Amino acid sequence: MGFSTAISGRDRCVMGLAMGDPGGIGAELAARMLADPAISAVMQLVVLGNRRMLEAGAATCGLSPDLPDLPLARLSRDVILSERRHVMVEVGDAADLSHLVPGEPTRAGGAFALENFRTGIRLTDAGVLDALCFTPFNKYAMRLAYPSYQDEIVFISEILGTGDGVAEFNVADIWTGRVTSHVPLSQVASLISREAVLGRLIMTDRIMRAGGVAHPKIAVAGLNPHAGDNGNFGREEIEVIAPAVAEGRARGIDCDGPFSPDTVFVRATRGEFNSVLTMYHDQGQIAMKLMNFEKGVVLFGGFPFPICTPAHGTAYDIAGQGKAHPGAMRATLLLAASLASGKAAPAPVLESNAAVSA
Amino acid sequence: MLEDRARRLGLRVPICAVEPQNANGIFDTALPVVAAGPRATAEPGVPDATSAAAVVQSLDRAVDLVMSGAARALVTAPLAKSVVYAAGFPFPGHTEYLAARCATPDGTIPHPVMMIWSPLLAVVPATIHIPLAQVPARVTQDLLVQTGRIVDHDMRTRFAIAAPRLAFAGLNPHAGEDGTLGREDEDVVRPAIAALRAEGIDARGPRPADTLFHEEARAGYDVVIGMYHDQVLIPAKTLAFHDGVNVTLGLPFVRTSPDHGTAFDLAGTGRANPTSLLAALRLAWRLTAPGRAA
Repeated sequence: MGFSTAISGRDRCVMGLAMGDPGGIGAELAARMLADPAISAVMQLVVLGNRRMLEAGAATCGLSPDLPDLPLARLSRDVILSERRHVMVEVGDAADLSHLVPGEPTRAGGAFALENFRTGIRLTDAGVLDALCFTPFNKYAMRLAYPSYQDEIVFISEILGTGDGVAEFNVADIWTGRVTSHVPLSQVASLISREAVLGRLIMTDRIMRAGGVAHPKIAVAGLNPHAGDNGNFGREEIEVIAPAVAEGRARGIDCDGPFSPDTVFVRATRGEFNSVLTMYHDQGQIAMKLMNFEKGVVLFGGFPFPICTPAHGTAYDIAGQGKAHPGAMRATLLLAASLASGKAAPAPVLESNAAVSA
Repeated sequence: MLEDRARRLGLRVPICAVEPQNANGIFDTALPVVAAGPRATAEPGVPDATSAAAVVQSLDRAVDLVMSGAARALVTAPLAKSVVYAAGFPFPGHTEYLAARCATPDGTIPHPVMMIWSPLLAVVPATIHIPLAQVPARVTQDLLVQTGRIVDHDMRTRFAIAAPRLAFAGLNPHAGEDGTLGREDEDVVRPAIAALRAEGIDARGPRPADTLFHEEARAGYDVVIGMYHDQVLIPAKTLAFHDGVNVTLGLPFVRTSPDHGTAFDLAGTGRANPTSLLAALRLAWRLTAPGRAA
C-alpha cells in the first residue's frame, strides 16, 4: 500500500518525526502515520532515524512506505518542500543497531533514540522543521546511553540553551499542566509562588487556544489536603494560589480554584472544566494514569516550537505484532501541526480506544 | 432529631427509642435509637454550637457500648469540626478522640491509622491533615514501621487476609529515581520496608505513585501505604467516588465512617447520597461477622 503524495501549499507543515526506542512500537507507528491520509492532508513528515528499521516496522503492519532519502547535510525546508511528500533522513550509524534486542531496553536503542531526538531538536531550532514529534522513549535505555539523562525538558533545554518557562502538558479530553515537575516533594511548596502559578495559568490558556480549544476553562488544584481547609492544613491556597487565580481571572482567563486536589479530576471529567492545573508531579499523574490518559498526548510547551509525543510508552509487550493502536500518535502529530500553524485549528479528535491495544 | 428530619424529607421511618440490649428485637418494625445527650436543636444546613454536647455525648455512649461488647462495631456519621472545636473539643477529629478513649490503664494511647477502603482499592495515608510542606519531615522510619505493623495486623485480624501484601508508595516523583529526585525514598522509606520485612511482614516498595493504582498494579497488593493524604485520596476518589469507606485501624474495635463531610449545603434537601454511609455500615458488619478472629 502506498501513501498519499497529495500535499499542497507553500505553508504546509514540515513535521519532524524522530524515531524513538527501537525495541518498541515506534517504527510501526511511524509507518502507519506515513500511510495516514489525515496526516498527509496537513503535513509533510520528515522521519528521522533508520530506513531498515522503519521498513521492518512497516512490514509488521503490511505497509511498504515509498519515501525518498534526503541527506542530513544540506537539508533545508525548501528541499523538503520541493519533494512534495514525506521523506526519510538517516541519522547516525546503522552499524550500531546490530546490538539491538527487540522488546528490551538497550544502550544501542537509547543511543539511537537520543541521536534522532537531538537531530530533530537542532533541525527544528534551525527552522528546517516547523515542529517535532517523537515515538515513545524508554528512559532506562536513554540512561544506558546517556547516564545524566533526566527528562525530555532538561534534554531539550540543554540543546537549546533555554528552559525558562517551559512546562509539560498532558492533552486528552482534559488538558493537564503542572507548576512543578521532577523535583523532590520537599521542594514543591517553596516553588509554588504567585508568579509561578500565574505564569502557568497564562501559558495553559494560551497553549490550549493555540491547540484549538476555543474556550479553555481551567481548574486550579490546591497544594494541601482539602485545598488547605481554609488555612487549617497550610496557607499556600490563601496566600499564593487564590491570588494567582484572581489575577488570572482579571486577565481574562477562565480559571477557578484552588480546588481540593482529591476531587478536582473527578469534577473535570464530569465536564465542569476542560483543564486542570496541578501543583506537583504525582498530583496530576496519579489521576491521569487512572483515567486512561495514555491515549492522549504529552506536549512540551514554552520552547520556541512545539514538541509532542504520545503519552503511552514503548509497549514492548506488543512490539512487532502490528497491533499498536495509532490514535495517540495521530493526535500527537495533528496537535503539533496545529500549534505550529499558529492558528486555532480544530483540536485533534482523540479516539476512544487506548492508543495501545492491551 | 431523626424524626424531625424524616418528616421534613417525607420519609416514613418508624423510630423507636430503646435501650441497647433491646435494639436487636426492634429492627423488623422500627429503627431503634438509643437516646444520648441533650436534644439538639440545629436547623438543617446551619452549624450550631449547641449541637456539640449532643455530638460528643452520643459518641461517648457509642464507645461505651462497643467497648463493653454490647455493640459489635462503631459507625460514625460526619461531624462539623468547627462546631465541636467552638465547644472546646480538644481533638482534631473523631479518630484522635476515639484513640484517647481507648487508652490502656497505663495511659498508652493507641496509634490510630486511617484507611480508605473500597471494593477496588484499600489505601492508608501515613500522614493525613497536615500541610504538604510538612510531609517530608513527618514521614519518619518509625512512623512507617508503626503504620505498617498496624495495617498488617488489622488486615489479618479484621479483613481476614492471611498474608497481607503492603505496597508503599514513594514520597517523591518516580519514587525518587534512585535518590536523584529526593533522598527520602532511599533513606527513610526503603529502610522502613526492610525493617518490616525483617519482622515477616510482606512490605514492598517504594513504588512510583503514579503507576501504582491501575488495575494490573492493584492485583499485586492488598493495601497501599501512601506518604501523604492526596497521594492516596486522589486514586481512592477517582476510582470509587461514592463507595469509599473510612476505616480506623489500630483501635480495639471496628470503626468505620463515610468518606465525606457534613455537606451543610445539602442538609435537609434530601439530596445527600447515602452510598458511602451504607458502605460504611456494610463494611463494619463484614469486619465483625461472627466466626472472625478479632
